[in-house]
Amino acid sequence: MNRKKHRYWLDSPDNVRKLVYGLYALCAALMLLDFFYHKHTNFPFENWFGFFAWFGFIACVALVLLAKQMRKLVKRDEDYYGDV
Amino acid sequence: MILLPHLELALLIPLLGGALVLLFRNRPRLREASSLSAGILLFLYITQLLGQYHGPSPVHTLLNISANLSIAFQLEPLGLVFALLASGLWVFTTMYSIGYMNGNSEKNLTRFYLFFSVSIAATMGIAFAANLFTLFIFYEALTLSTYPLVTHKQTSEARSGGRVYLGLLLGTSIMFFLTALVITWIRSGTLDFMPGGVLEGNTQGLAAVLLFTLFMLGIGKAALLPFYRWLPAAMIAPTPVSALLHAVAVVKAGVFSVLKISVYTFGIDYLATQEASVWILWLAVATMVIASIIALSMDNLKARLAYSTISQLSYIVIGAALAWPAAALGGALHIVTHAFGKITLFFCAGAIYTVTKYTRVSQLNGLGHKMQFTFAAFLLAAFSVIGLPPFIGSWSKWLLIEGSVDTQHYIVLFAFALSTLLNCAYLLPIGLRAFFKPPDPAQTITGPGIQEAPLACLIPLCATAAATLLLFFYIQPLYDFLYPVFNS
Amino acid sequence: MSSLNPALILVLGALPALALKGHLRAVYVLLLPVLSFLQLYTLPAGIRAEFEILGMLLTTLHLDRLSFVFAVIFHIAAFLLILYSLHTRDRLQQMATLIYAGCAIGAVLAGDLVTLFIYFEAAALSSVFLIWARRTPASYGAGMRYLIVQVISGLLLLTGIILHARSSGSIEFTQMDPGTPGGALIFLAFGIKCAFPLLHNWLVDAYPQATVTGTVVLSAFTTKMAVYALATAFAGTEILIWIGLLMTAFPIFYAVIENDLRRVLTYSMINQLGFMVVGVGIGTELALNGTAAHAFAHILYKALLFMSMGAVLLRTGRINGSDLGGLYKSMPYTAGFCVIGAASISAFPLFSGFVTKSMIMGAAAHEGYTLAWLVLLFASAGVFHHSGIKIPYFAFFAHDSGIRCKEAPASMLCAMALAAVLCIGIGVFPQTLYALLPYQIGYQPYSLTHVITQLQLLFFSALAFTWLVRQGLYPPELRSVNLDVDWFYRKPGRWLAEHAMQSIVAGEQKMGVWIKKLSFSAGTRLHRHHGPQGLLAKTWPTGSMVLWVAFLLGVYLIFYYVY
Repeated sequence: MNRKKHRYWLDSPDNVRKLVYGLYALCAALMLLDFFYHKHTNFPFENWFGFFAWFGFIACVALVLLAKQMRKLVKRDEDYYGDV
Repeated sequence: MILLPHLELALLIPLLGGALVLLFRNRPRLREASSLSAGILLFLYITQLLGQYHGPSPVHTLLNISANLSIAFQLEPLGLVFALLASGLWVFTTMYSIGYMNGNSEKNLTRFYLFFSVSIAATMGIAFAANLFTLFIFYEALTLSTYPLVTHKQTSEARSGGRVYLGLLLGTSIMFFLTALVITWIRSGTLDFMPGGVLEGNTQGLAAVLLFTLFMLGIGKAALLPFYRWLPAAMIAPTPVSALLHAVAVVKAGVFSVLKISVYTFGIDYLATQEASVWILWLAVATMVIASIIALSMDNLKARLAYSTISQLSYIVIGAALAWPAAALGGALHIVTHAFGKITLFFCAGAIYTVTKYTRVSQLNGLGHKMQFTFAAFLLAAFSVIGLPPFIGSWSKWLLIEGSVDTQHYIVLFAFALSTLLNCAYLLPIGLRAFFKPPDPAQTITGPGIQEAPLACLIPLCATAAATLLLFFYIQPLYDFLYPVFNS
Repeated sequence: MSSLNPALILVLGALPALALKGHLRAVYVLLLPVLSFLQLYTLPAGIRAEFEILGMLLTTLHLDRLSFVFAVIFHIAAFLLILYSLHTRDRLQQMATLIYAGCAIGAVLAGDLVTLFIYFEAAALSSVFLIWARRTPASYGAGMRYLIVQVISGLLLLTGIILHARSSGSIEFTQMDPGTPGGALIFLAFGIKCAFPLLHNWLVDAYPQATVTGTVVLSAFTTKMAVYALATAFAGTEILIWIGLLMTAFPIFYAVIENDLRRVLTYSMINQLGFMVVGVGIGTELALNGTAAHAFAHILYKALLFMSMGAVLLRTGRINGSDLGGLYKSMPYTAGFCVIGAASISAFPLFSGFVTKSMIMGAAAHEGYTLAWLVLLFASAGVFHHSGIKIPYFAFFAHDSGIRCKEAPASMLCAMALAAVLCIGIGVFPQTLYALLPYQIGYQPYSLTHVITQLQLLFFSALAFTWLVRQGLYPPELRSVNLDVDWFYRKPGRWLAEHAMQSIVAGEQKMGVWIKKLSFSAGTRLHRHHGPQGLLAKTWPTGSMVLWVAFLLGVYLIFYYVY
């Protein structure tokens, strides 16, 4: 196989965009599912519309943004301990 | 018991071996054979004594100097174990010596083997001593008979080391040990070793503290601060000497005396009630930690091992000074467990020297692939000395820690922990460098020049290393045998 | 034979492996865990084997349901790990793996604290060679620190055992009170092994420094032994819930900014261990079942993830996220297996994590721990984020690093395929795993609510990741180290220790000079009669004999006078 000529499906930005839109659509569909079934829950707040969806999204954004701030405090040069 | 009147045999066998060595001084093979067979014979004799042992024997007097003052022997568990250990390891060491001394083209071998035998005879005298006087006599005899071994190389360095050796060991024993002996004699009227001790009712409080301290400082062979410098100085000797005498026979004679005096002159209970050992306890704790730290700073391999021995000897002194049965028993077991580990370490150091002439730790990088067995044995022994299961060293450490917990000496407990970590830090890198660091480009000998040491060296060191692992599972008989000494 | 400890088959069987070569050795080492497993399976329930040492009666073999499930998964892991390591010619590593696995099995089958201690220590000792075997300066130091921490844990355990035995009169390994001094020390010792917060750093420091196979092997045993020990001794100890929650939450922040992908996985390990610790803390039957099940599933998917990263390291020589990317082109199978591992750890329905983690969260909800449940939910989203997405994304996708290499060796692919099959198998047929668990309780993981809510959580986490990356908000992979607790002992602690030691060494030198002077004056006198130029060194010890006689006479006189 000639590697230079071979283009993988993911190499095309169009295909990546298709994947991303697919994800958006899937998320929307999952959110809407909340209308169509009865949730068996332990806590009252679980019944809020799309609770798990919102929770997942906000948790991850908060996680990443906080971790980014943490870098200011804990990031050091790779050879900080002098053993690389 | 049939053999009892002949307890002197334990001294006679090595002395006879020495005489044969002298006789065959011009026939190396016969000379070495007689040394080796004396070792085997002695070991068999001691095992037979052990087999027939049914409890402490009556005292057997060799020479009566005056009433209550005699050179006398007695069989009891502590001495029997020590004698068994020293004679058993003597066999291995003799075998090792043959490989080492020839491999390094050492001279004056007749003198070497002769004094080696005499030292063992003196060690047997210590092991079976029935009273303090006998112990003291053979203690000094051991110092004197090992001196020519220390100065074997006859260089100015060896001479200087010898002076420190003799000066410290004889000096402390005459100044302190003898004084303590005389005081004991005056106070109690006897120098005999008796279960439960002889001082109850005649020496209390501060007097007991002072007496115990005098004894412990006087036993320079136990290598307490500040009188331990003789041990690193003795490292100038050929490695078989360092291995048997300065890891087993001489140094263990010191701590053996410490235990004997604690158990049979003071009595463990009496030590505890009079708090006689408090000063020594703290001195030993300090010695243990400081010697470990010094060991860490030593680049010379044998010096590092010597400081490690100093630190480990203090374990045993602490075992006695905690004045608690479990701890003292731990100390007694430590005599055995440490002996196997440390003799292996010295055997390895000697094997490395025989092959490469390297003496420093920093030269060992990358040697492990050429000398796999030697360095593997080194690591096993190091694990044992550190006290990691499943190696024999862990059991004695277990009892010592149990003793420090039981007596609520938490600082001692902490010191044991610290010393364990320091042990890791100074012992393991020696073996690990050889296996896991790339060879130094500046190494003078590389490539096919390096191989394993002669078989005569390799077999004993592999055997003692294997023992550190296997005896872990067979410690129980030894424990049962020594148990009654400390729990009457 | 009937009471032979399976652990011994692995430990003792490891030695002959050193002498064998080639295919014969491969077959032999693969056979050992199989034999050992058969022995475990034929052991009658409730069997005990005893051994007396130092006046203590040890129970070296004690089989109950909790130890059984851990012993089973340790066997499966041992087999997979040996298979994975077949490509290496380093016999040391295979031997260490077998002994280490054997010790882990021995530990969970131990009936008393002393046996447990011995196996714990032996496991630490055998495992550290998997770190050193990488033979780099960094791994040398990391291995040393690892061993020191394990020894500290061992010392705490030992002291704890002695105190516990004194107060309770028994060394049996059973439920303990962490409020007693002995119990507290044992708790702390297990806590180190289980990577409790602030005690966790040995794990993050050492595991990524191990060899390609070493890291995978390490990930399976030590921490899970600790989980087993906690579950046996401290089930229902409430503080464990809060400790566990911290463990699930704080490492994921580090995981986001960590560059070394194997280190990312070690942070994620702490997060997963946190779930198990919470389960132990809740201590109900459902929670303990959840802990055991989660440990079971976790060993498999974590091994799978580490295996895929190991394959990447083996083939490319790199493991930093900043150096990798686009590897799916060269290593498609490895990429696929990695994604299966990622899906399992993220708890996608039909994958193993889904059917095990939910038991712990269900138990938390059932007992009314609202805050705990919310933190676990946050951690679940977080774990998907850094293990589920970050690992496969930065290694196999993202921007093409241009690296082209061979696919992983066949033995590695086989091991990964088997692990992947098990991950999916557990996810699809959860009742098979549930049947092994300590308690028989009906639990049904697949309900409509559970599946949908879990999918919502995961896909919106993925959405967040996508959005952040496309907005350029996602922190880039940077060559760096991130300070963690080890800073305290690697910087100021080290400085202090070095200075303290220097002054002690200097003091000792001074004392040495003084003592030498003293002993020289004594020694010189003796030396004159006794030295190398003296008579003694040449022929016969006449010098010493004279000295001797004089000496004895002196002593005798003193005694005579006194008497």
